[in-house]
Amino acid sequence: MAIAMTEERSAGTGRPSVRVLADRCAGCQECVLRCPTGALGMDTDRWVATADDERCVGCRQCVRTCPFSAIVVEGPAMVAPRVSGTTAHPESVLADISEVRQGFTDWEAALAEAQRCLACPDPTCVRGCPAHNDIPAFVAAIRDRDLAGAHEVLQRTSVLADVCSRVCNQAAQCEGACTWSLAGEAPVAIGQLERFVTDHAPVPPPVRGPDADVSVGVVGAGPAAIGAAWSLIEAGASVTVYEKDPVPSGLLGWGIPDFTLPQAVAQRPWRQLEAAGVELRCDAEVDADGIERLLTEHDAVIVAAGASIPVRPPIPGADLDGVTDATTFLKTGQAALEAEGGRDRWLAAMGFTPGVHGGSAGHVLVLGAGNTAMDVARTARRLGLDATCVDWLDRRFALARPDELDEAWREGVGVRFSRTVTRLEGDAKRVRRAYLARTVQPSADRMPKVQRGEQETLAVDLVVMAMGYRVDPAIAGALPGTPVRRQAAGLPDRRWMASGVLANPASEFAFHNPVGQLALGREVGLQTASLPVRERVWVIGDTLTGPATVVEAMAQGRRAASAIMAGRPSRPGKGRAGPRRALVCYASVGGRTAGVAHKVAEELTAKGLAVRVLPIDRVGREELAATDLLVVGSWVEGLVVAKVGPARAARAWLDGLPRLGGVPAAVFCTYEIDPRATLDVMAKALESRGARVVASSALRRGGDDVAAIALARRTLAGARDEVAAAGVLNGS
Amino acid sequence: MAIDLQQHRSTGQADPIPAAVHLRPAVRSGIEERFGASDPEPGLELTRNPRVARLVRNRKFQFLLILPNQIVFWTVIFVGLAGTAVPGLNFGAAITWYVWFCLVFVMMVVVGRAWCAMCPFGGFAEWVQRRTFWQRTQKVLGLGRKFPEPLARLGFLIPVASFLLLTWIEEFFNIAGPGNPADTSWMVVGIVSSALIFFLVFERRTFCRYVCPLSTLIGTVGSMGSVAGFRTKDREVCLSCQTKDCMRGGNDGYGCPWYTWPGSADSNLSCGLCSECFKGCSEGNVGLFLQKPLTSVIVPRRRRADVAWGIAILWGLVVFQQFNATNVYASMDSWLNKYLLVPHYPDPVDYVGIIAAVTILTAGLVWLIAKALGRNDAVPTGPTNFVDRKSRFRNFFVPMAYGLIPVVGADYFARQLPKFFKHSARVVPAVAHIAGFGSAKSSIYGFHILSDGWIVVVQVLVIVAGTAAAAWATWRIAGRELVPVSRNALAVRLTTLGVVLAFGALASVLYVLMHAAS
Repeated sequence: MAIAMTEERSAGTGRPSVRVLADRCAGCQECVLRCPTGALGMDTDRWVATADDERCVGCRQCVRTCPFSAIVVEGPAMVAPRVSGTTAHPESVLADISEVRQGFTDWEAALAEAQRCLACPDPTCVRGCPAHNDIPAFVAAIRDRDLAGAHEVLQRTSVLADVCSRVCNQAAQCEGACTWSLAGEAPVAIGQLERFVTDHAPVPPPVRGPDADVSVGVVGAGPAAIGAAWSLIEAGASVTVYEKDPVPSGLLGWGIPDFTLPQAVAQRPWRQLEAAGVELRCDAEVDADGIERLLTEHDAVIVAAGASIPVRPPIPGADLDGVTDATTFLKTGQAALEAEGGRDRWLAAMGFTPGVHGGSAGHVLVLGAGNTAMDVARTARRLGLDATCVDWLDRRFALARPDELDEAWREGVGVRFSRTVTRLEGDAKRVRRAYLARTVQPSADRMPKVQRGEQETLAVDLVVMAMGYRVDPAIAGALPGTPVRRQAAGLPDRRWMASGVLANPASEFAFHNPVGQLALGREVGLQTASLPVRERVWVIGDTLTGPATVVEAMAQGRRAASAIMAGRPSRPGKGRAGPRRALVCYASVGGRTAGVAHKVAEELTAKGLAVRVLPIDRVGREELAATDLLVVGSWVEGLVVAKVGPARAARAWLDGLPRLGGVPAAVFCTYEIDPRATLDVMAKALESRGARVVASSALRRGGDDVAAIALARRTLAGARDEVAAAGVLNGS
Repeated sequence: MAIDLQQHRSTGQADPIPAAVHLRPAVRSGIEERFGASDPEPGLELTRNPRVARLVRNRKFQFLLILPNQIVFWTVIFVGLAGTAVPGLNFGAAITWYVWFCLVFVMMVVVGRAWCAMCPFGGFAEWVQRRTFWQRTQKVLGLGRKFPEPLARLGFLIPVASFLLLTWIEEFFNIAGPGNPADTSWMVVGIVSSALIFFLVFERRTFCRYVCPLSTLIGTVGSMGSVAGFRTKDREVCLSCQTKDCMRGGNDGYGCPWYTWPGSADSNLSCGLCSECFKGCSEGNVGLFLQKPLTSVIVPRRRRADVAWGIAILWGLVVFQQFNATNVYASMDSWLNKYLLVPHYPDPVDYVGIIAAVTILTAGLVWLIAKALGRNDAVPTGPTNFVDRKSRFRNFFVPMAYGLIPVVGADYFARQLPKFFKHSARVVPAVAHIAGFGSAKSSIYGFHILSDGWIVVVQVLVIVAGTAAAAWATWRIAGRELVPVSRNALAVRLTTLGVVLAFGALASVLYVLMHAAS
């Protein structure tokens, strides 16, 4: 018996070859649907996938998407070398604040790079982008030389394309999730193509929509506020922005140096927003009490106050002179570089004497090696100082964007990973020495461990703590449920699994920085931004999630704005309608509870509401954000007297609910003998998340339909009574 | 691929991702031809009954199937090692060889992979792998490796090889005789250990699908059964499903441990009846279906060469197991053992040689039929893999092997009957012996349900029934699959029918000879 040890494969070298494992291929077509080049088809007689090597480019999308691991691709990827934009590293960085990265300067380079995009049918880059820009579409527009079309695509999801293309860590986002990157090849230069669009065609300004009679107060003027204000003004809302600083833009203004983000680019959104009618009130700090005041003036309030309190680790010696934080350093350092003679004044003010360390005025030790730390160190180099960054993370898991790290090295910044500062010492109360210990970090999800043994001593003149920021506790205390952890729990959305973005990538960078998991974690923040933390109060950006990125903040702002315009909240005393959208969700095993849920939904629909009915395992933050009235049903689990309560699945779902921001809710259960405290448990769980339970019903077998209709009517009446109590009810 | 900007502009969803996803359309051509005959009738869906649906959806369902067998087989291990050395009084040996193996065949013929759903060996290893008895956990224990591709290409042949090995070990040590009960225990421990190792190294039920000695036997004989397994209710829903929870695992169910997609299953060959797809499907589009007996033998459109060769080898093995009871074999085995220095029966050379000879003779017979009746122009080009490759010989061999399944299955079943009819009553004193008061002197210990003569009659009747089923299946298969590739339609149908009848007659005659020899 001769057994052929090869599957369908065409011979050849220098080309990728695809093998479909005929034994295991179930013909589900997950690979066929997603193959960018159409190299996979179906043998409908055997009902298994077939491969055409001639059309395969070796992107291995099929390998990542096959549920049964029935496809093997071997051989090189058929992709042209990446075309990168130029960088303009000055001979000497001293006092030079001109932009380093230049992007593509001509169409030829941009088109060559755009051609590398496979326009994947299920583009993983879109999932990797925190704003979910339709990357294949805007790249296709570039290929068509249609920059206006590219802007149109980008503006569906982003209003900061010029900013994001400069400051995003694309390697951990869109480019990290590019199918070429997941296959171990150089990804499409998405960030540079995005920048090419904005460099060669100005970002179109917002167009104010017809008056929607919704007034929104936005606290803060950073990227999150920009995203929110942009969407709101385009939807016809009246927007007032309260910014504590004298100039808007928040982090974009003071946190990112000119050599990365020129001020002209950073200020562009606010110029356009003010021109479109957004009322900007600077020097207007809003505290917790201020939020209450704003709620009386506006229909909704968005808190986008950022995370501005620097984290200061408890290192012995941190109270010495010459120890400062990144905010202070960047604000003063930037100002010094921009002003005539400002550098010398700044050096003198900071106690430096030029020439002490050879040509350098002194040595700055930066704690941390993330993007802010890189900004600090590179600013220090421009101020005429030596700079060393120290980070206890392993280099493989570095937080800074790889190109930024590379640029810092080229500019003479020393970056030392797997080190941590154990103490600082000084002379005459001025910091002079730092002691460094080694650390070990075996994997990205484990905290580094400090090694014992001999410590290294580093002579320093200034120590800058750039280890992140936290939300002002006074603000956070007034916003229940914040900050939210950007970590997806449970089984990932299978649509994400199907796309292949969560599969083990071949790219070394993506392997150490699992872009799919990072992206899923960001989804938590994005979806939570749609939900009010309390009635009429939305929280977005760093205030919601803790320190994150510009693009995430902007995207959250847009989500919150959409939620507000869809829900149309109104302040007390202003007429408003009752609930218009209802969500009826249920935990059902035998189908009875589901039947009751559908009957409730039917009655609510008859009363004019737009109703969705879903099993609870399909109800996430998005579904919750799109409802004005929530009805939750469960069957009663337990043994007559023992452990009687809502079904376990329902309990787990209730326990995992996000803040519901005062949404009116009803609960019901179906039972056979005795529901005991089932309804109370459900109601308390909902109320602990900020919902207001206005009706409840326990349904014994027999007469489910009548009871369901009665519950629906009581729920609607309860919700409308609440509205009436809060203000004036419009309509029925 | 061209991007439709207009479509993009018209999308105003909160989640922008769907607007950027442009999946290719699923291939839907030929679905009726491919699945029309094998799709079970909607009226035969058991899970239409809410109580059945609720039972099957319950995560404890499979646990409760496995638990009794788990208790029995750990008892077998313990009693086999610690109990009496008298096989008939030892619960471990008695329950395993007098009752269990026979019942497994009954389950195969009636239900399909029912034993796989309740198997304590894979069940135990799966509990360890999933770190739970029944819950849906997200993180499994072990390495989760894929089964090596070169081995996976062999499909159902590795289980046949492991079945041959296990059978030789069982014959060599006279485990199923039964001999020393401790040997039965060690055999069970060996299977459980192997399963555990495979479950901890590989993903899903790699052991059950690719290695378990019983996998091919149960899969093929079980295809006679009346349970179609878990199948799609509406294939269109499956084709448009964006999550494939039944394959990847959903909130309530694991991805299919057997690498089967209900959306394309056309037989019960690879459905382990674990119900995970039913639990996992977020659309409620999977049902448990019944089918007419022999449906999974006759109608599947895709015939697999690994299954065909597996059937032929299993046929060789069961013929060996009959032939080894004859005096001719005994003389030959002794003669070989003397020269090959093998201490006793069965000599591995004659064991493998006879099985190979029967397999090759079977294939050779088919080759002759193909040569004589096959059309020269009916050798389609197509896949080159072992499982699906086409040739004139395979055009005949693969469908004919499927047609032989009932006679092979009947032969295996008949082979188990003597122990059941003669000794199954010994389980009662064996159980009592655990409590200290069972005896070989009790009347029930020596009770035979049937006498030797009647047992042979029943065996022959079983073979006759199996042969009749095989004849029916082969007639239908020949009409559908052999006639189009033959020069003479009637000749090919009659010839293949003759082969089946001859095989049935051979099996019957061998049982008579076995009886005569004993």
